[in-house]
Amino acid sequence: MPRPHWTLNRALAAAALLLGVVAIAGSPYRGSTVRIDTQELATIVDSKVDHITVQELADWIIQGRTDYRLIDLRSEVEYAAYHVPTAENVPVAQLPGYGLGRNEKIVLYSEGGIHSAQAWFLLRAQRYPGAYILFGGLEAWKGEVLYPVAPAAATPQEDATFERIAQVARFFGGGPRAAAVAADSGALMAMPATPGAGFEPPRAPAAGGPARPGAKKKRKEGC
Amino acid sequence: MNAPFYKFAAFGDEASLVIAFVIGIGFGFFLERSGFGSARKLTSQFYLDDLAVFKVMFTAIVTAMLGVFYLSWLGIMDLSLVDLVSTSLWPQIVGGLVLGFGFVIGGYCPGTSLVAAVTGRIDGMVFVLGVLAGIFVFGEAFPLLRGFYESGDFGRLTLPQAFHLPYGLVVFLVVVMAVGGFMGAGWVERRFAPPAAER
Repeated sequence: MPRPHWTLNRALAAAALLLGVVAIAGSPYRGSTVRIDTQELATIVDSKVDHITVQELADWIIQGRTDYRLIDLRSEVEYAAYHVPTAENVPVAQLPGYGLGRNEKIVLYSEGGIHSAQAWFLLRAQRYPGAYILFGGLEAWKGEVLYPVAPAAATPQEDATFERIAQVARFFGGGPRAAAVAADSGALMAMPATPGAGFEPPRAPAAGGPARPGAKKKRKEGC
Repeated sequence: MNAPFYKFAAFGDEASLVIAFVIGIGFGFFLERSGFGSARKLTSQFYLDDLAVFKVMFTAIVTAMLGVFYLSWLGIMDLSLVDLVSTSLWPQIVGGLVLGFGFVIGGYCPGTSLVAAVTGRIDGMVFVLGVLAGIFVFGEAFPLLRGFYESGDFGRLTLPQAFHLPYGLVVFLVVVMAVGGFMGAGWVERRFAPPAAER
């Protein structure tokens, strides 16, 4: 029964009030009950979109990006001995209550890949869409970023590419290995000194520094 | 498909720029159509004879709030993924005062000054230059201001968290505040409107 002075403004105000009254009963957050879409998770695992490579991570650190949280899932002792620069130490058991934001990009790593994969499931099941695994974990970081192996019989072009990789390695306190030494053993790969708590990579690498390898590729990961 | 689309990777960086461009054009268009390209219209708010700015802005707030709330409640949108600017109480109070003084003196806020500038208003163009100069000075002086800029940081704080109220109740209270505000604004406009001859 619209009264004569039932203007559009009043109708809108009444609609807003009605929606406001109904809102009292509701909540925008879906609480602690979680439904896991196993098919969705399986699809993500299969398509490997949940991976960050160690090279990508190295680029981010060199560029001084701050739009991600790097989580070291190992024990405190292992973390104290060495960790990837900018990493926070959160052993798996503490992960559920650690206070990561759902809207953050979270990169998980452990020694190999098992703990980070388990932690990834934990976070995805709690609806953290921005959880990623550092592919290959600390072992890959060690073998591919800190101590990359020089190609045995390289073309000049391969040499140029490897020089960039070697610069990245030196930036993080490592250095390239010759192929023959690498085949021998990993015993020479002592970890570099632990970066201090306030490690802040330089915004722009010095003239001799790495030349922002793969700067185009990482755009896809932007957050 | 769930929202926010960007966080669920429905589109990438490049597409997000295109979408931002389209939304920006829409925003500017409706600001202009609301009459907000005119400093006279905007400053009428401070003479209390035309509170259109207050009404348009509060309408936008309530519309967006109800939309986000209901989309989240229905499970279409995940509110926990929406980025929030962290609350730094004192710097934000001071910043608000600076912006308010600038608004009263210059007749524009940053967004409306751009609208005025592109519609050919010279005062709008001068205002935009002033905004850019201010940004430059702030940027250069940032090392001096940094301590204050980062003080009183409460993190990502929302009204339901700050007042320990249920989310829905805060939504209701904001709607009541808005409707009450609109009724009050209507009364104030009638009370302070200049006689027809003066207009």
